[in-house]
Amino acid sequence: MEPFHPARVASMLAIALALAAPSGAQEAPPADDPQAIAFFETHVRPILVERCVSCHGPEEQKAGLRLDARSPVFEVGGDSGPPVLPGDPDGSLLIEAIRYDSFVQMPPSSKLPDDEIARLTEWVAMGAPWPPEPPAQGGAPNGSEPFDLEARSGHWSLQPAVEPAVPPVGRPDWPRNPIDRFLLARLESEGLAPSPEADRRTLIRRATYDLTGLPPTRQEIAAFLADDRADAFDRLVDRLLSSPRYGERWARHWLDLVRFAETSGHEFDYDILTAHRYRDYVIRALNDDLPYDRFVVEHLAGDLLDRPRRHPTTGTDESILGTMSFFLAEGTHSPVDVREEMRTRVDNQIDVLGKAFLGLTVACARCHDHKFDAIGTRDYYALAGHFQTARHQYAFIDPPHRIDDRVLELQSIRSALAAEFGPGGPAEPGPPPLREGDELFADFADDSFDAWYPAGQAFGDRPTRPGDLAPDPDGNLSRLEPGWAHSGAIAPRLQGVLRSKTFEIERPFLHVLAAGSGGRINLVVDGFEKIRSPIYGGLTLGFDRGDAPSWVSMDLSMWHGHLAYLELADGASSNYTGATSSLWPGDGTLAVALVLASDHREPPGPASEFRSGPILDRIAGRTIPEATASLLDHYRRVAGELPEPTLALAAAEGTGIDVPVHVRGSSKNLGEVVPRRFLEVLDPEGRPPADDRLTLARRIASAENPLTARVMVNRLWAHHFGRGIVASPDDFGAMGAPPTHPELLDWLAAEFVRSGWSIKHMHRLMMTSSAYRMSSKTRPEADRADPTNALLHRMNLRRLEAEAIRDALLALSGRLDPTMFGPSVPPHLSPFMEGRGRPKESGPIDGDGRRSLYLNLRRNFLPPLLLAFDFPTPSSTRGRRDSSNVPSQALALMNDPYVVDQSRRWADRATEGPRRPPGEVVGGLYESAFGRLPTEAERDRAVRFVRAQAEAGRADRDAWADLCHAIIIAKEFRYVD
Amino acid sequence: MSHCGRHIPPPLSRRAMLSRCANGFGALAMTSLLTDRAFGGRLSPERGDLGPGGLHHPAKARSVIFLYMDGGPSQVDTFDPKPRLDREHGRPIQTKVEPTQFNNVGNVLRSPWRFRRRGESGIPVSDLFPHVGACVDDLAVIRSMVSNFSEHTNANYFLHTCHGQQGRPSAGAWVTYGLGSESEDLPGFVVLNGGLVPPGGLDCFGNGFLPASYQGSVLKAGQTPLANISPTEPTEEAQLAKLDLVREMDRDVLARVGDHDAIESAIANGELAFRMQSAVPELTDLSGESPETLRLYGLDAPDPHTRSYARQCLLARRLVERGVRFVELTCPGVGHDRWDQHSNLQSGHEDNARAVDQPIAGLLRDLKGRGLLESTVVVWGGEFGRTPMAQGTNGRDHNPFGFTMWLAGGGIRGGVIHGETDDYGYHAVRDKVEIYDLHATILHLLGVDHTRLTYRFSGRDIRLTDVHGSVVSPILS
Repeated sequence: MEPFHPARVASMLAIALALAAPSGAQEAPPADDPQAIAFFETHVRPILVERCVSCHGPEEQKAGLRLDARSPVFEVGGDSGPPVLPGDPDGSLLIEAIRYDSFVQMPPSSKLPDDEIARLTEWVAMGAPWPPEPPAQGGAPNGSEPFDLEARSGHWSLQPAVEPAVPPVGRPDWPRNPIDRFLLARLESEGLAPSPEADRRTLIRRATYDLTGLPPTRQEIAAFLADDRADAFDRLVDRLLSSPRYGERWARHWLDLVRFAETSGHEFDYDILTAHRYRDYVIRALNDDLPYDRFVVEHLAGDLLDRPRRHPTTGTDESILGTMSFFLAEGTHSPVDVREEMRTRVDNQIDVLGKAFLGLTVACARCHDHKFDAIGTRDYYALAGHFQTARHQYAFIDPPHRIDDRVLELQSIRSALAAEFGPGGPAEPGPPPLREGDELFADFADDSFDAWYPAGQAFGDRPTRPGDLAPDPDGNLSRLEPGWAHSGAIAPRLQGVLRSKTFEIERPFLHVLAAGSGGRINLVVDGFEKIRSPIYGGLTLGFDRGDAPSWVSMDLSMWHGHLAYLELADGASSNYTGATSSLWPGDGTLAVALVLASDHREPPGPASEFRSGPILDRIAGRTIPEATASLLDHYRRVAGELPEPTLALAAAEGTGIDVPVHVRGSSKNLGEVVPRRFLEVLDPEGRPPADDRLTLARRIASAENPLTARVMVNRLWAHHFGRGIVASPDDFGAMGAPPTHPELLDWLAAEFVRSGWSIKHMHRLMMTSSAYRMSSKTRPEADRADPTNALLHRMNLRRLEAEAIRDALLALSGRLDPTMFGPSVPPHLSPFMEGRGRPKESGPIDGDGRRSLYLNLRRNFLPPLLLAFDFPTPSSTRGRRDSSNVPSQALALMNDPYVVDQSRRWADRATEGPRRPPGEVVGGLYESAFGRLPTEAERDRAVRFVRAQAEAGRADRDAWADLCHAIIIAKEFRYVD
Repeated sequence: MSHCGRHIPPPLSRRAMLSRCANGFGALAMTSLLTDRAFGGRLSPERGDLGPGGLHHPAKARSVIFLYMDGGPSQVDTFDPKPRLDREHGRPIQTKVEPTQFNNVGNVLRSPWRFRRRGESGIPVSDLFPHVGACVDDLAVIRSMVSNFSEHTNANYFLHTCHGQQGRPSAGAWVTYGLGSESEDLPGFVVLNGGLVPPGGLDCFGNGFLPASYQGSVLKAGQTPLANISPTEPTEEAQLAKLDLVREMDRDVLARVGDHDAIESAIANGELAFRMQSAVPELTDLSGESPETLRLYGLDAPDPHTRSYARQCLLARRLVERGVRFVELTCPGVGHDRWDQHSNLQSGHEDNARAVDQPIAGLLRDLKGRGLLESTVVVWGGEFGRTPMAQGTNGRDHNPFGFTMWLAGGGIRGGVIHGETDDYGYHAVRDKVEIYDLHATILHLLGVDHTRLTYRFSGRDIRLTDVHGSVVSPILS
């Protein structure tokens, strides 16, 4: 039987439509031949009932299919169309499936007995007779509601945010800004009153943890208490927002949304190289209050902007770093099915895009139209095309002055040299002699890289031409053969990569005519970049044969029909061939003249018959006139001092790929091809489709998009108030929670856009409300009326996140190192952290005092202390962390050596210097940890404790450490009221 | 149609809301978790359709011991004899070869081990497993297991979580989430780390999107079996005094900020943590076990790896005795790369089998002798099997298309074979059992309907068995 073919699906769908039409061109199954009906009833229906209907009947309709009634069998069908074509057993999916030689094998557990297969086949062959049924039985072929985009698009979150009027309230003295009026109006309508304002110590602790993730220092508390101006709290918020600690704190919230980690997990937990640059990018963006719409555009298309933002001091390309978020996911080591691996990767990218920016579970539409939301399978595959088109690269992010300008200078010297020494040497080579079955994939005699995507400067802007010269390190001049893509023609220190267009692998061999030392030729199949053995080792060829040209070959027979592109790389590409990942060094050169796709295992003939080699001959240094020689000296100096390029993992544009719908998510059952675009329900009417990534990014970041602003203000709200207006921050769909205050949400979204998408403006607005200042103390009566505090009648009590707990310990102990940015601190490895890919050496137990977001996050070796306090597995967007309560938290605070060590340091720090009365020391400890002073009784109790511990034989220093440790274990330390 | 989860009507009671803590009531739910007797589970109580004991149906077992054979033992060398391999040894295999992990496909490779019919049932077991073979009348041998993945890590995640990527809850986490633990001072899901952490790492035992309380606690052999379980103070008194002070401080904070559930349950957890400090050492102290018991497991065996796994098996029994719900054992490191014999099949499988055979048989006998087998499901198997043709000359590559696992204990019919592979032992051809079905069956034995144990996450009510799975009824007693 022939393999299943997409075209057939289409034709079967057409048949289904024809059948549904009243005129019914297709021959209908006989319904009135008594003998035929008897055959069906005795020999066929019993098989269907016994073997099929439990999964394809009234109870369940797997693959959307019912086999218990006439209409679904012949007309409506399942996801793949009607299963039976009367009279055509070989064309009927049902028969194909029961024969077990198709991608669908039914029944799944074991093949039917041969006689049953024969009977069903005969039945189809005789025209599939089936008696007519009363309409009631034939209806509802598919258990789920049909997908009706228009009806579903009525969901609240898809409506434009119309700015609501700010409501009147009964207590005009309470509101400080419109937020309060919305909240109060609702509370009043329920007969509730807001809680009184918290005291100032509570407020500064709350605000400081909120914005910086650290406790306020005693000095900061004193300054705030001493500020008796009316706007003291507003000033406090402003001060905190301008602290560099703010960006660190909120970057970590963002990192949860993009499943940030610095390794790719799976079997060997390879490093995701340069990942820290993304983390630093987020910190800077937040500290600079980068408008959120711009931030979104950079995440999706930062590589495509004409005028990217630049790093304030180094001048490196800042915008492109946003696109690293595409590649922070888990990745498979040597997948047996590389297409499936690509689909998994893209699925995760779509999931993150949908949830993080839009609050939509788009990935639910991979196998079927979304069950509840206005997202069709076609939407999913339209986005999949965008992600399959976007490639993986190590982008060159240096500012022009660092490398590019020097290359310009070198290029102009080479032009001068070429003019001085004349063309010399042969003209460009003619077309290469090829065999039948050879196909010329690339010939660099074409004098252009038009068919390629160049990155970096190594290959210049074109292949070599007649007369091209390259100064070599020995003082001579090399005359270059024309027709090579040559990464050493300008300077060996330059790095660069040429990527081909994407092509479908049709011939089993690839032959590359190349020369040089240290370069790599990679074939990226289905976007898979972890190229290594087993399986993929043959897709990367190291080249180390010097100037002599030779053929290198790849056997692609395993990858027939796959999509691939070729990478000619001198540095700037990843190396997975060892135990850990790294970047290939860029100090060699690679020259490529020809690339052939071929049916022949052997290359077409000796390389020398095609090219003589990248270097034709040399002009001896001593023959070079004085004036030119000094120019050459200058050239060599500049070329020799070229710095290493700054690289960052990023997206790169590739050949556009449109993806067919995968019926039921199966790659073996392909439907129509969906052109790349945005989600239909959100795409503005009358505009051209977003078929490029930049347009897609702008549509997502647009104020016209009803979700983006709402989703983001809700995230900010959730972090400030402990719960979102929409309690499911990553799901604004029908299965998510409805907003508790829809008008407030819309007002905030409108205000966000009006402010120029200023995140800091929104923080300020939320935090300077009266609502934010409420006490969190429980009020039995109000709590009974509003048990989940959905109406926000008081502030929510919150537990510190994992990072804040760890960082606060560093702050108390004085160990906190405020250094920002840069490569991460290696993880401390406890004996319980085992498994493949475990780093050879453990990092420092206290992370060198760096804040938690600077700890190296290895997917398979996440820090246990953070995990105990609900650090989320970085698998997909996680907008709301758990706040669980488990004994391992108590055990960690009681016995983790890090915690014990920080308690001791804290005690030493608190008691150093001239001796002070113990009660005063206790006061300082309380204020540092809880933001408040102890009561008289608390102070006495603590002093008594220290004395008792000392009397029981603990050294004085240990006794104080015991007290500090107790304060850390105490719940007040990790809860913010 | 119940594809992506059901649309559950809005919850009516506080208790009902708690059961859906994915939507923002995590801390509250944990409170109820702790105040409930025996860490009550979360079997959709809002649906009000639970039978006696708070289960979906009467349970046959209350605990699970999963003997996880990391790396993938070969079915055709253990429980699934294939004479055709002997006949065609050394010749190219006469069937379509699926893509393999190493793409180094050799000729048909016969099993180096002899199979013997064992027990009254006469089920054949190879000479790799003489001790387990002697218990075969207690085993339901499933010869038709299939998995979706050929790579260890995906297959491991899939075996443990029914999902091929990182981030979903492990079966032990689901079971503990559903049923809670009967132990007051031990976690409900314990992983006894024999020395090898499987590819995919500790996330194979993770809680995924379930609250952290359900994650597997990894117990190591040695002085400190559990992280942070040993007090750092020099004396017990020093720690007690410290914790007494904490207790007083915590009482004050409740008075200051009100009776917040989160703080109350954090206090309760502190108490539990304190008790765990002594419960765990008590658990791992084997001095009270009789010499006969120790010998039964092989704690006196000449091979140190046998002794090491024997200790883990004995600990598994002690955990089950103490009411721990789900115990998983990882393999000891015997000097090969787990059961993953891409080459040197013979020595690799022999060393692995020697380490686990007697201890597993000892565990089955000991459980039986104490009347615990009838309330414990014992599951044996790896993430996939191995190819009937050689990889290279003397190894076998990964094979997820047909392999063997066995179950024993509560609710399991012993002495039966279920399913069948083809003549090569390559593909399952009759009564295929998917990983989903395995978990549906285990849950069924515990009194749980796998379609009704759900957790709302990411807009869906997600199940362990995803949208798949059916109970393998023929192996039930």
